[in-house]
Order: sequence, then C-alpha cells, then structure tokens
Amino acid sequence: MDLLIDSFVSAILLVFSLDPEMVAIVGVSLKVSLCSTLAAGLMGVPLGFAIAFGEFSGKRMMITVLNTLLALPTVVIGLFVYAFVSRRGVFGLFDLLYTQKAIIIGQIILIVPVVTALTIAAISRIDERYRQTALTLGANRIQTAWVVFREARFGVLAAIIAAFGRVISEVGISMMLGGNIKGFTRTMTTAMALEYDKGSFTLAVALGIVLLGLSFGMNVLFHFFQGRTRV
Amino acid sequence: MSVYSLTRLTQTYNGRTVLDIPRLEIRKDHIYALVGPNGAGKTTLLNILAFLQPPTQGDIHYRLKPVRYTSSKLKSLRRQVILVNQSPVLFTTTVFKNLEFGLKIRNVPKQKRIRMIEEALDLIGMEAFATVPAHTLSGGETQRVALARALILSPRVLLCDEPTASVDVENQAIIVDIFKQINATKRITIIFTTHDRFQATQLSHRILMLDHGRLVRMGYENVFSGTVDQRGDGKALLNIHPNVSLCMESFAGRSVQEVMRIFIDPDKIKPVSMNMEHGAPNVLKGRVQQVTAENAKIRMVVDTGVQLTLKMSIEAYRASRILAGDKIDLAVPSDAIQFIEGD
Repeated sequence: MDLLIDSFVSAILLVFSLDPEMVAIVGVSLKVSLCSTLAAGLMGVPLGFAIAFGEFSGKRMMITVLNTLLALPTVVIGLFVYAFVSRRGVFGLFDLLYTQKAIIIGQIILIVPVVTALTIAAISRIDERYRQTALTLGANRIQTAWVVFREARFGVLAAIIAAFGRVISEVGISMMLGGNIKGFTRTMTTAMALEYDKGSFTLAVALGIVLLGLSFGMNVLFHFFQGRTRV
Repeated sequence: MSVYSLTRLTQTYNGRTVLDIPRLEIRKDHIYALVGPNGAGKTTLLNILAFLQPPTQGDIHYRLKPVRYTSSKLKSLRRQVILVNQSPVLFTTTVFKNLEFGLKIRNVPKQKRIRMIEEALDLIGMEAFATVPAHTLSGGETQRVALARALILSPRVLLCDEPTASVDVENQAIIVDIFKQINATKRITIIFTTHDRFQATQLSHRILMLDHGRLVRMGYENVFSGTVDQRGDGKALLNIHPNVSLCMESFAGRSVQEVMRIFIDPDKIKPVSMNMEHGAPNVLKGRVQQVTAENAKIRMVVDTGVQLTLKMSIEAYRASRILAGDKIDLAVPSDAIQFIEGD
C-alpha cells in the first residue's frame, strides 16, 4: 500500500513539475493519435455516410463486418501491419517499421471501423423526414445528403472522439510497430508497460494520471456531443 | 386548366393495394380538402403528388405534361410542388436559416433572400423569431415556420398533410387564414388532408373523400360497417352497432352475416317530429351533440350509439326547436342508405 501511495504522490509531483521526459512521451502519444484519428476520420466518415445513405445489396452484411471489426485486437493489427512493413515485407523498402508512421498506419486500421460504424449509427438515427423535407424543398441528391449530414454532425463528431479515445489508450500496435524507442516512438502506454517491467512506478503512475485525465476529457466531450444530437 | 391529371393510378405495398384511383383531375387555383379515415391512402396520395414516390402503376400528368421519374425531371417538378408534413421537422438551426434553405439552393441573391424571409415571417406573424433556434419553437410555431419555409418558394402547388391536426385553436385559425390569403393573392393550388369535416367544407372548393384507397363520392360522415341479418318478415337488417340496427327493403345481393359498408345520406335523415314523407322508416333514439351552421344549412350530430349527422334547412331547424343536448328520435328511411361497393 505504501508503494502505491508513495508512487502516487511522486507521480503527482512529476505531473505538476512538467517532467521533460514525461512531456516528450505525452507529445509523441498525442501526435500519433491525432494523426491517426484525423486520417481515420477522413476515411471513415465519408465511408460511413456512403454506406448509411446508399442503397445497395450487401449493405447489411457490410455493417455486420464493420461491427465485427470493432473488436479487432490491437496485437492482431500489429502483427498484420508488421508483415507488410518489416524488412521482408511488401513495403519493407520504405523503412517504416519502428517509426511513428507505422504506429499511425496500425492505429488507422484499428479505428476506421470505429468511425465508420458510429457514423452509420449517427446517420441512421436521423429522422427520414429531414431527407424528405430537403427533397420537397427542391434539393438535389448532394444537397439532400448534406442536410442529413448536418443533422448528424454531433453524432459524427462523437464518433471521432470515441476513435481518439481508442487510439490514445491502445498499447499493442504502438509496442509492436513503434518499438518503444525513447523520444521517438515511446508513447504513454508503451512507456507505462516499460516502467512497470523495470519496477519503477513513479513515471508509470504519472503517465497513467495524464492518460486518465485525457480519457476523462474525451468522455466529457463525447457526452456533450451525444447530448447535442438529442436536441 | 388542370394541374394534375391522374389516370389508373395504383400504389401497392407488399401486394396490398393502398391507393386505386381510376381518374382524378386537380384544377388550378383551387383548394382541395382530402378527407377520409386513417389508412385511407391520403398521405400516400400526397407523397405521389409531391413527386416523392412514384406510383406502382398509372400515369400522372402535371400541367398537361406526363411525369417522368428521372432525377433531373423530378428536381424541376419538386421545385414547383411542396409538401408540408403532418409533423414537420425544422433543420436544427435558426428559423432564418430554415427559411433560407430553399432560396439558397435556388441561388436567390442574399439581399433578396433577406427581404423575402422578412416578408414570410411577417405573413405568419413571427417577425421576432428570425434568430430563434428552430428546435425551441412550439408545435404551432413549428407548423407555421414549416408553412412559411414552403410558401417563401412560391410553389404552384402546396400540399399539406393535416396542417391543423397538432396545433392549438389560435394557430389553426392563423393557418386557415394563410391558406385563404395565399390562394386568393398568389393563386397557389392547395391540397390538404384533414379529419375536420367542418374545416374541409369552410376552406376548400372541393372535398375529395378517400376510403380504402379509393375516391368515393359520398361524404366522410355517416359511413358505417355492419353485418347483414334476416328479419322475421324476410327483410334485411343491418347491425352497425350492438344497439343500432337498420332495416332495409332488400339484401341488395348480400348474404346473411356478410360484412358490408354503408353510407347514410345526411340530407335524408329527419327528426321524427318533422313531417315524414317516407314510409316505415327506422327510428333511432339519440342525443344532439352538436349543431353548426354550414353554408345555407344546419348540420346536426346526434349520438345514437353511433354518431349520425343530419342536415336540414335553417327554416326547418328553427321550426323544430331542437337544441344541443336534447333527446330526439331520428327517422332513417331505407332510401337514405347506400351501399359502398368494392371493399
């Protein structure tokens, strides 16, 4: 118990003293997570919108597959991407393994299904009357789609926030594709795993506090936007 | 000139026919009331007239030209005909931007847009609401803004699905006034659905009655379902309520226990005290629920177990001295009963 309390007190001091190593780790985490979330948003939102708005055969199956991909383990993605970016892989010549780019690629694969599935859910919740109203007021297909998207905007934003929350806290992809290189690919979660292995809890607990703080912030934002969709 | 001409139009869902109209002409500049019970096909017909769904079969001519269901043609048609839903939705933005939507997609210049929106808000008596978020409006205000959002686009035809069903009396009066005003000044053809027979009579030039997807000639009231029975003297007895049976001269080709629908002509029902011209009528006891003046006639609703409507001249009504709440006997002659075919 003393160990926990001592580590917690030291960690709080570390957080408030803005320890350079901790700040660097948080910076790397935020950078890769924001990049992957942005890229996944650019891919997942239009894809989700196209699936939700479109009428085509196999739509239900596609949604089922996407929902299944929500449970994809990070280590499976790590392994999968490793096979492509390692020296012997198809993209080996790009020297991507153990770089931030490799982490971003893996994280994009992780959260594109999250953004897509939640975008579909957000669009599907929009009352059919909005589409009908836009049409009867003379809108063409694109203008009608834009109306529906505008109505679903808070739900889509909530999807992106949920995706960010997923990548900021994942460890498998960052460890397997980033290699936990200090100052370069060491993220909050990989650093915590390392510090735990070393038996040095102070930095691990400090990073845990920052991570929890970020997750809390994400959840507050998520619920704020979820609430707005019910207006 | 006719705005719409419908020929052999049918709409089916999963093999069930919900609309079957052999022929219908909608005349320009007229106000039409579409009445009928729930599930009669009123909303389906409005959606077809708004070009939001194609009919399963049949031809529609709009302003003498056949309607082609291609997306470019539809957009052009939809810009002339606007449907306001029974429970309209406003976009989750301000009232101003709701009104601006249709104008913006028609590339109306900004200054003109602002002026038109101000005029439209003035028409519905909501000048102060331009910057108000639309989702904070009451049901009646929402209905009025939805109406203004449609009218600002100066459609040739305005279709309204139960425009006054979910609003208070004050808003009902405002909406009725708007209809009269835009029909008279802007010569917009209006087709609206309603359950309010009185409103339909007061507001429209013509009432269209839909029943089970078919246009029927008789009025909306006094339509009943019942089973046929045989009386001791061989005459047919139609049971339309556990306590209300009507005697008819013949079975009219129906067999005993067959379910059938009838219409009772309100002009032929008379209070018993009045001089009867028909022999051996059915006499039903009831209490007067409502008495209203309708054009040159008095319309009386009597609860006999079923609600029966009768009409009489103002002179006959004065002579009868019947008041709302009175218990009276009604004579329903057999020639007042008509069978509704095709159910």
